[in-house]
Amino acid sequence: MIIKDVVCPFCGCLCDDLEVEVDGQRVIRVQNGCALAESTFTGSNRLPAPIRRNAMGWEEISYDDAISDAADILLSADRPLLYGWSSTHGETQSCGVHIAELIGGVIDNTSTVCHGPSILAIQEVGHPGCTLGQVKNRADVIVYWGCNPAEAHPRHMSRYTTFATGFFVPEARHGRTVIVVDTRRTESAEIADEFIRIERGGDYEVLSALRAIVQGKSSIIPSEVAGVSREQLIRVSEICKKAKFGAIFFGLGLTMSAGKYKNVRNAIELTDELNRHTKFTISPLRGHSNVYGSNEVFTWITGYPYAVDFARGIAFYNPGETTAVDILQRGECDAALIVASDPGAHFPHSAAAHLAKIPTILIDPHQTATTPLCRLQIPCTMTGIDAEGTAYRMDGVPIRYKKIIESSYPDDAYLLRRIHDRIREVQGA
Amino acid sequence: MKAILNTGRTISQGVEVEHKGSPVYRAAVSVCYMNPVDLMDLGIEEGARVVLTSRAGSIVLTTWTAEGVNRGEVFVPLGPYANHIISAETHATGMPDFKGEPVEINPTEERVKDIGSVMEEIGGLWYDH
Repeated sequence: MIIKDVVCPFCGCLCDDLEVEVDGQRVIRVQNGCALAESTFTGSNRLPAPIRRNAMGWEEISYDDAISDAADILLSADRPLLYGWSSTHGETQSCGVHIAELIGGVIDNTSTVCHGPSILAIQEVGHPGCTLGQVKNRADVIVYWGCNPAEAHPRHMSRYTTFATGFFVPEARHGRTVIVVDTRRTESAEIADEFIRIERGGDYEVLSALRAIVQGKSSIIPSEVAGVSREQLIRVSEICKKAKFGAIFFGLGLTMSAGKYKNVRNAIELTDELNRHTKFTISPLRGHSNVYGSNEVFTWITGYPYAVDFARGIAFYNPGETTAVDILQRGECDAALIVASDPGAHFPHSAAAHLAKIPTILIDPHQTATTPLCRLQIPCTMTGIDAEGTAYRMDGVPIRYKKIIESSYPDDAYLLRRIHDRIREVQGA
Repeated sequence: MKAILNTGRTISQGVEVEHKGSPVYRAAVSVCYMNPVDLMDLGIEEGARVVLTSRAGSIVLTTWTAEGVNRGEVFVPLGPYANHIISAETHATGMPDFKGEPVEINPTEERVKDIGSVMEEIGGLWYDH
């Protein structure tokens, strides 16, 4: 059976034009998707049943026992950490926040090690963004700063920017100027009309230099700024000022390098300067398929997009203190619930090691690098494959995942609802 | 040799990301991309192994030439190998220095560990179904 208009659950592009051929409970062919999409749909590393670690090793257990154990672990904890939430749908994220509130825990999502600093910058100076449809149809100048969409968001350039035919950009690639700014000459840089190669840690300086030039203060710029020549900076400023519609996309090159959220703030303020000459927008390239959704759902319920601490009985937010890596590094949490993410692979190990010292529950369809660190893993459906639900694209547009195969796995929202109800029952008693 | 460690997504890392126990994933994320001149300075050829040591620990990786990587920098795909040596210090921002960890690089004859061993070093127990 061929299913059309399938949404890919890998990256924040949420491409919704895939054609997937299904044979029973297996996906056998993916069309229109990138290499990441194909491996996501055809992968086969699902954990068959819940597993629990005991003194002798691992044992398989029933779902009922696993849910009961998970509720007991969370009920016994003084300082539980609930982390992940970005590779699943909004309904699951919502259940997670309600559990955190019930048990006075800290709930954080993967933006903490992704675009968390971008959120901090946006909270300081705002977000002059737009939807990807606007970029596709209008942008004649595209800037990719500190990101490598060719490998991390492989269809971003063909669906929305460089190679896309837009209403006001009918010539696609010939009608768009592409600028890539990076410390590495990446595959994305090879495609660029203008590649600005900056020295590591030089983003803030280069952004400041561009702001000065756009303000008409070129004379104060030295001959070289963080490895970039004054001539190139002036040339790029002119390209941007002459754009009919410019769009900046930035990645973790800004959020993870020295300066972190201050780099992003400076990039937003450059966008502000450019808007005195023409129309310019700026947006983060979000990684996990529904990481934007985790920010949305957390914000609806708590007022804050990530790193929310309910220990005081109210929602408290202080990134740097209530963020997952800091809590783990301090050895502060005494239990953890990890859902739809893999901190074992993607957190510094000096922080992730704490997960092995405390009772950690993992709800994830796959065997991951967090599996060895946990006390209990409960496999669930994979959103967008054997579960439907709502996700938010990187530009904030909500898109509904389809369920394309039937499976015997429970939805993670169902598992969390049962854990939630069990906790309420015990607390009520 | 001293260098700055940069980490990030590669297409092969992304393709294998849900198969963390597979040899293909291990091969994709246990690579140290280096400028060819730096490789020459170390006196080794592409494919030789190096040990990267940081303030957080050390890890053995296989070298690969990358013209696009600056001298004095190395690039390792995000994953359990890179994160074995990245410090958890966030400077009160919540975000570790995933793109700026100072490392010391030396050639080694030691083998690249499998992911199970890397996770067991930090207290885990590999599950093999």
